[in-house]
Amino acid sequence: MFGDDEDLAVAEDQEIEENDAWAVISAYFEEKGLVRQQLDSFNGFINSSLQEIVDENSLITVTPNNQHNPGQSLEEEAESTTYEIKFGQIYLSKPTFVEADGETVAIFPKEARLRNLTYAAPLYVDLEKRVITRRPGPDGEGEESEEHVTPYDKVFLGDVPIMLRSDYCNLHGRSERDLSDLGECPYDQGGYFIINGSEKVLIAQERMANNHVYVFRKSQPSKYAFQAECRSVCEGSVRASSSMSVRMLSRAGAKKGAGQCIRATLPYIRSDIPLLVVFRALGFTADRDILEHIVYDFGDDAMLEALRPSIEEAFPIGDQEVALDYIGKRGTTVGATRERRVAYARDLLEKEFLPHISMEPACETRKAYFLGYVVHRLLLVALGRRDEDDRDHYGNKRLDLGGPLLANLFRALFRKLGKDTRAHVQRCVDRGREINLTAAVNKDTISRGLKYSLATGNWGVLGGPGELRPGVTQVLNRLTYASTLSHLRRINSPIGREGKLAKPRQLHNTQWGMICPAETPEGQACGLVKNLALMTYVSVGCAAGPLLEFLEECATEALEDIAPGVVARATKILVNGVWVGVHRDPGDLVARLRAMRRHVDIETEVGVVHDIPLRELRLTTDAGRCCRPLFIVQDRRLRVRKRDVVALQARDETGFSWDSLIEAGAIEYVDVEEEETTMMAMSIHDLKAAREDPLHAYSDTYTHCEIHPAMILGVCASIVPFPDHNQSPRNTYQSAMGKQAMGINTIVAIACYSGYNQEDSTMMNQSSIDRGIFRSIFFRSYKTEERKQGSIVQEFIERPSREITAGMRHGTYDKLDDDGIAAPGTRVSGDDVVIGKTSPIPDDGSGMPQRFTKRDCSSSLRHSESGMVDAVLLTTGADGQRFVKMRVRSIRIPQVGDKFASRHGQKGTIGITYTQEDMPFTAEGIVPDLIINPHAIPSRMTIGHLVEALMSKVAACLGKEGDATPFTAVTVEDISTLLHGCGYQQRGWETMYNGHTGRALAAPIFLNPTYYQRLKHMVDDKIHARGRGPVQILTRQPVEGRARDGGLRFGEMERDCIISHGASAFLKERLFDQSDAYRVHVCERCGLIAVANLKKNQYYCTACKNTTGIVAVHLPYACKLLFQELMAMCIAPRMQF
Amino acid sequence: MTDVEFMASDVPNIFDMARFKKGFSIDITRYEGNDMTFHMKGISCAVANSLRRIMLAETPTVAIEHVFILNNTSLISDEMLSHRLGLLPLNLHPRYLKYRLDGEPATELNTVILKMKLSCHYQPDGTLKNEKVYAEALKWLPHGSEIPDETGCKFVRPQVKFMPGVDPVNADILLAKLRLGQQIELEAHCVKGVGEEHAKWSPVATAWYRFMPEVVLLQPVKDELAKELAGELPGLITVDSDGSAVVNDPLEHDVLLEKVRAMSGEPKWQDVLQLRKVKDHFIFTIESTGAWRPHEIFEYAVKLMMAKCDKVLEGLQKYPPPSDLGAEEWMED
Repeated sequence: MFGDDEDLAVAEDQEIEENDAWAVISAYFEEKGLVRQQLDSFNGFINSSLQEIVDENSLITVTPNNQHNPGQSLEEEAESTTYEIKFGQIYLSKPTFVEADGETVAIFPKEARLRNLTYAAPLYVDLEKRVITRRPGPDGEGEESEEHVTPYDKVFLGDVPIMLRSDYCNLHGRSERDLSDLGECPYDQGGYFIINGSEKVLIAQERMANNHVYVFRKSQPSKYAFQAECRSVCEGSVRASSSMSVRMLSRAGAKKGAGQCIRATLPYIRSDIPLLVVFRALGFTADRDILEHIVYDFGDDAMLEALRPSIEEAFPIGDQEVALDYIGKRGTTVGATRERRVAYARDLLEKEFLPHISMEPACETRKAYFLGYVVHRLLLVALGRRDEDDRDHYGNKRLDLGGPLLANLFRALFRKLGKDTRAHVQRCVDRGREINLTAAVNKDTISRGLKYSLATGNWGVLGGPGELRPGVTQVLNRLTYASTLSHLRRINSPIGREGKLAKPRQLHNTQWGMICPAETPEGQACGLVKNLALMTYVSVGCAAGPLLEFLEECATEALEDIAPGVVARATKILVNGVWVGVHRDPGDLVARLRAMRRHVDIETEVGVVHDIPLRELRLTTDAGRCCRPLFIVQDRRLRVRKRDVVALQARDETGFSWDSLIEAGAIEYVDVEEEETTMMAMSIHDLKAAREDPLHAYSDTYTHCEIHPAMILGVCASIVPFPDHNQSPRNTYQSAMGKQAMGINTIVAIACYSGYNQEDSTMMNQSSIDRGIFRSIFFRSYKTEERKQGSIVQEFIERPSREITAGMRHGTYDKLDDDGIAAPGTRVSGDDVVIGKTSPIPDDGSGMPQRFTKRDCSSSLRHSESGMVDAVLLTTGADGQRFVKMRVRSIRIPQVGDKFASRHGQKGTIGITYTQEDMPFTAEGIVPDLIINPHAIPSRMTIGHLVEALMSKVAACLGKEGDATPFTAVTVEDISTLLHGCGYQQRGWETMYNGHTGRALAAPIFLNPTYYQRLKHMVDDKIHARGRGPVQILTRQPVEGRARDGGLRFGEMERDCIISHGASAFLKERLFDQSDAYRVHVCERCGLIAVANLKKNQYYCTACKNTTGIVAVHLPYACKLLFQELMAMCIAPRMQF
Repeated sequence: MTDVEFMASDVPNIFDMARFKKGFSIDITRYEGNDMTFHMKGISCAVANSLRRIMLAETPTVAIEHVFILNNTSLISDEMLSHRLGLLPLNLHPRYLKYRLDGEPATELNTVILKMKLSCHYQPDGTLKNEKVYAEALKWLPHGSEIPDETGCKFVRPQVKFMPGVDPVNADILLAKLRLGQQIELEAHCVKGVGEEHAKWSPVATAWYRFMPEVVLLQPVKDELAKELAGELPGLITVDSDGSAVVNDPLEHDVLLEKVRAMSGEPKWQDVLQLRKVKDHFIFTIESTGAWRPHEIFEYAVKLMMAKCDKVLEGLQKYPPPSDLGAEEWMED
């Protein structure tokens, strides 16, 4: 048996077991990491989008504007010159930085972060200037032209921020050792940008898919009953989307006797157009021709009948010209001639109507077919044969990742650059100056534009067309590793947070495996901000060309070549929403397409959806579709074999990788839409059942199998042990808390003990704290630079001297070294000055010697914090200015009020700390680190918490790792049996002794190791009280907020308490006499505030012009302010006595 | 007077000297290095617990309290390094030092000084020295601080005259890791303190007791049932020559006790078997950190408790005894 080759071969051909899936999963994460979508998307932008965008708008043509030139006849001007500027090949270098002295150096992320620089690479472009001179031929016939070409190689176009760890990053492909030598964390996955030293993430933006036909039932009462719409966007087009919709009148909306007509809404056309008019405008005049494009089967009386009102409605408009005019009249052609209106309408149908099908002339047939298809879909719903489409279906959603977002931004900026360049060249040409292309191309447009959007998150061109979309980038959350990863996988749906509609927020069935079901914030953004599941792949988009070629080879009949009657018998083929043709044997075609995809003959991310009820084959290649890998099942067997897993486990030697698995056709990526055409087995076990007992199995036609159901979770939810044993919101809470946590294994008792752990407080062992449990280091950095005005340094980092410096801070300057910066290792606290800086006060010009020649602009420590100076960095910033960063560290020791949580949404604060001798102890002398209250458990139903604890005890006893993965076969009974085997009570209970009295506690206590987290909320960061302090200048009310030493609001409810207590005199004393008292002088006659000069004892009422009868009045300053503000609004508040 | 009226935790609460003398025993069952286990029988759990608490919290040791860091270029921060140093158990009996009270200057009587100075560098054989810093790097300064002005610690006479050396109990505790060229230079000042204030002064890792477990057969078990029981609980229950089940020492079969508890809840065994605790029989375990011998800690705890009792009596001295009997006579009675 041992070493028998034949047996081994058989064994290797065996199907894999449940646990072997983990080898596949680890291979996936090892190769792809967790931010692959970001990297893939950005690489796609750099490698293809960038050049495509430049090519799209590559040509600038300038002809001189005719200037009036006296004494020159028209003949002489027959010679014409055209200037053409062509953008050619682009080149992107590795990230570099130009120092202030002009030296260009390669830059690494660490330096960019420390010096507040931007991690960006210069982009160059080959330019070509072409001067074409045309003049009439010498004999007056023909034309002579002369071309003059000047190439400009590699002209600097701007800086493009580079995503870390992308193909163009300086860290790409570095070994772990290299990375640590470069000061980079080997565990950092990249996927973000560094803009001015701060790390920025591009948040994926969710949107509806373009070029899809959606049919909705309008909620009644409404003029329309049904609506079919299509947001048509031409691939790689600059133009914004062009929406088209077809609507059917509701019964109430229809005119009497007219029936439910169908109308179409066209872009730029003010009113709806009867459906058949659009067809006629496209050149299909006969009713029968038109109906053939809508109702494929003329035996379908119901559908034909539904179209009758529309036919009748369009009866007066009989031919194309009339139809075009009808449309043209309703466009933006006021007062134009009929010819122009017709031409306008024709142009509109060509360029603006369904541009995704074509924007070229002579494609009326295809557009008519598509319009017919849209109407067909509408009628299917209207006739009740199909349900309306689901807006929230995830197959109808696309995610705009960094690549497409940057591509759109770059496109807009590049067009702006083109426009500016053109204007510059035009000016040169008109003024007869030499054209210098290097000067014509503004280097700042792209650099600044990209940097601005990435730095602020306002997506779009400032001052350009369209609105700026806010919040597209965010500062990368670095609180914990998990929070960073989760942030890089976040999705935002730009739907108003106030919307009461619950549907877009709810978890949709189709999100299974793509979106984490647990990880979403609570409150306003609930369900709108989502996170990718662990194995989600977001398509980058690929060219549809090869696919179309293949379809043509495979006997797909193009729409132009078929009789409409064929459609009824064949399957429609749509590629990215464009109906390209029909095919008569879709089954075979689908099989061949899938086979090709599995052999990577076409891109793996191509979606193949065979919609049998609709008789459609939809192929998708666009970017932003969510896909996920699945095991391929053939004949109720996985295509992966044991030998693959064995090879994968030894991938260092065999070179067998995740991609090999894809190439071998063992795994494929399936997108949301395609997922619905598959039969998926949840586990390998299901397949076995289907093989062995097909009759009783759930299904015997499996096409795919889950790699592991635990992969439906996202980064943060995957941290929860046994999430399948918890009430679902608890997993959501933990997913939110895990982002602000650092954890450790602790011994936790669930017990009532002295009562200091009620209402979600916990008791902590003070001796454990003494020994260092949950100790953490908190860092805060302070930054200062010597700002310049032009090239003159305006500020100096130095120790300010009291004699000549104005506006010195009230904290101590003693901590500063001679260079004006506190040295590392200095203990600093309160308002201590840590970096000294002054700016000169300019001479006031009076000629008098000034007392102060400098003004203090030092930085002092936050007044509620203290710590030690950990490190100081002295360098130069982006403009060569002196630049100082200081890191202050403080050790945070757990104390009463600090927040802690288990990994099950069970959070609480420390209520008391007990020393070891006061804590209960077990027969083994074990003392808990934490005691939580049993009341935290029943209503919250976090059974996972208990199971985790139980398994932790077994793991601790056996010295092994426990498996807390969800959806596995582990049961509490299994764990209990193991625990009992270790000599412990099966359910984790232990007899404990009271530390105060020494007696045994009456009840057994659940005492087990549990992973606990310390959360970032600590009392020391929150504690705040103030007696007196700063007030606002305007209102003289206390300022707000702890950071400003603000007051705590004594609000109306608090006021009510005092009044109802009968202590209104106290209230007046506190709120008025002691806080806000003010005195004004009021004219008794008019009741308005008068002018008083107390020194000279002069009083004067400006309104009555009198000087007598003026009284002093005490009133709150807020009241005085109100009166004055009212007066500013031309309201006279008069005080009558 | 019957016991029943003054029962607490199933143990007679009323103190009877004669009975105490008869019933009380201490029996050391294990003494290995710094660990010790002993049985204490016939005493109230209040007393046992008081002793436990004194051992944990009120028995003094010497530990590093102030660290003066002259240079630390290592990765570990000053605070973290100091905290680690503080937790080191030191080999010095606290009787050699006095407590340093609040505001008192540091002198040779209340402070012991250790010093550490090292750097990570290449040795002639090409290996790195001091890549890892262990507790043994701490060296005693019997003549006092080398930087008395900064530390404010001035010795009048060297400590060698009245105390043996000081060194960490465990020389192999890792304190810090260094990279090439990094240095640590510090002076650690140790003072005497108690666990109440900070766990580092606790002389024990832990000290605790448990009640003596007792496995009871509620009825005579014979023949088949006895065999079955012996099979379920091998060793703990054996069958003797006449076929009846006998319970052996439960401590020898500790891991079976949980099974006994589980079985005593089953219908089949609930009338036969029971697990009980003997509530005046304590099994104490003391795990010393090394500054004290474990039995010394217990001895100290007893003495401290006596001293406390004396203090109480002293306080009561002002008032006459309740009757014309003297206190001693009253006790004798």
